[in-house]
Amino acid sequence: MSREDFIELYQSLGATVTGDEVTPKTLRLNPLATDESTLIETLTAQGVELEKIPFLDHGYRVISSPFSLGSSIEYLLGHYFLQETASQLPAQALSPSSEDAVLDMASAPGGKTTQMAAYMGNGGSITAVDVNRRRLYALENNLERMGVRNTAVYNMDSLDLPDEPMFTKVLLDAPCSGNYVTDSRWFGKRKKAHIQHNFMVQRKLLAKAVSLLETGGALLYATCSLEPEENELNVRWLLENHDVKLEDIDAPGSPGVTEIFGDQLDESIKKCRRLWPNDMGTQGFFLAKAVKL
Amino acid sequence: MRLLRRFLIQVGSKYRPEDLLSINNKRFIEPVDASLPRDAMTYNGLYLGFNRKWFIPSSLLLQKLAKEEETKKAYVDRDAAWFFVVGRDIFEENVQRFKGDVKLGKYCLVMYGEGCIGYGRYETSGNLRVIKNMFDIGDFLRRE
Repeated sequence: MSREDFIELYQSLGATVTGDEVTPKTLRLNPLATDESTLIETLTAQGVELEKIPFLDHGYRVISSPFSLGSSIEYLLGHYFLQETASQLPAQALSPSSEDAVLDMASAPGGKTTQMAAYMGNGGSITAVDVNRRRLYALENNLERMGVRNTAVYNMDSLDLPDEPMFTKVLLDAPCSGNYVTDSRWFGKRKKAHIQHNFMVQRKLLAKAVSLLETGGALLYATCSLEPEENELNVRWLLENHDVKLEDIDAPGSPGVTEIFGDQLDESIKKCRRLWPNDMGTQGFFLAKAVKL
Repeated sequence: MRLLRRFLIQVGSKYRPEDLLSINNKRFIEPVDASLPRDAMTYNGLYLGFNRKWFIPSSLLLQKLAKEEETKKAYVDRDAAWFFVVGRDIFEENVQRFKGDVKLGKYCLVMYGEGCIGYGRYETSGNLRVIKNMFDIGDFLRRE
């Protein structure tokens, strides 16, 4: 598919994207290591200009900075995490507490894991799994830097986890086809075959996620893909094949699309959230929250 | 355990963790989950650090020790902190104040505000007194 084909597809789903959107640099303050007012004051005194992102609990847009925010002393002390706006939404929407046993199925490099640990106040437990050992080094460094103490990390394929309902919440930030906002060469390298491969893997992961959830537990499914096969069509498959129902998500963006390739999807899919890059100044993103019945 | 205990004594801490969990030479306490295969586990709970020739503390342990009254500390300003986190030693004249019984040849935490940025040994270098960098949190950048 060409760039024009992708843009035409997105426009047929109701978007007005151009393919040239960019996302600003953003960070997430870490309440495990500091309080917001102190950090804002410290960074402002050093000439960093920040703007609060209204729909995020701890997210700030970086307007300007006289130095690299990825190597400051405050960064090394874990006072903040450089994390794109939309990617802060899954953990916020799942909103785990210290009462939860959480599974993070594709956890590296740990932005969302460390964010969930902050919501949990380092209580409860997070089981963080990733198949890629090299990426787990980054996760482990981030857990240490961000002051996380409630997480166990396993280097394994989530599909090999035992089918036992062990968790009250599951985050599946699924491996996906990505989007053009965070990858300038995306249009040149993305093929339909990649999307088909990814949505099949995602369905296996979704089935595994449901098997690991306790009854009444919540699954948050997220991708940074704009492709309907990896998003609404996967959610339709989930609803048709597993005992789950969708829940509303308190997040910006548009409702899930319910008319795709001539098919009419269940109206409840509107409870999903789609972030088109031209809407909110974010990368492309998709969120669905399901409860196991 | 021996190297960890020695480090804790060196910086004046009374903390004595027990029931350590060892994973790939890394030491942890308070594991949170052991429900999945042990051989796949790479990290669990509060990471304390790892053994080399001496004990290399984690940032988590350093921040924990920073909150202890008893630990020996040297407070530095922002410029000195910058030098320290890129692996340099700190001249005594750049230390704002010491807390606790910091003597020549002994160890202390290096503090920037409330945060611990590493630890070092107070020693002489030629005619000067310095805090020799033993470990600093700039290590996060050097690991990548």
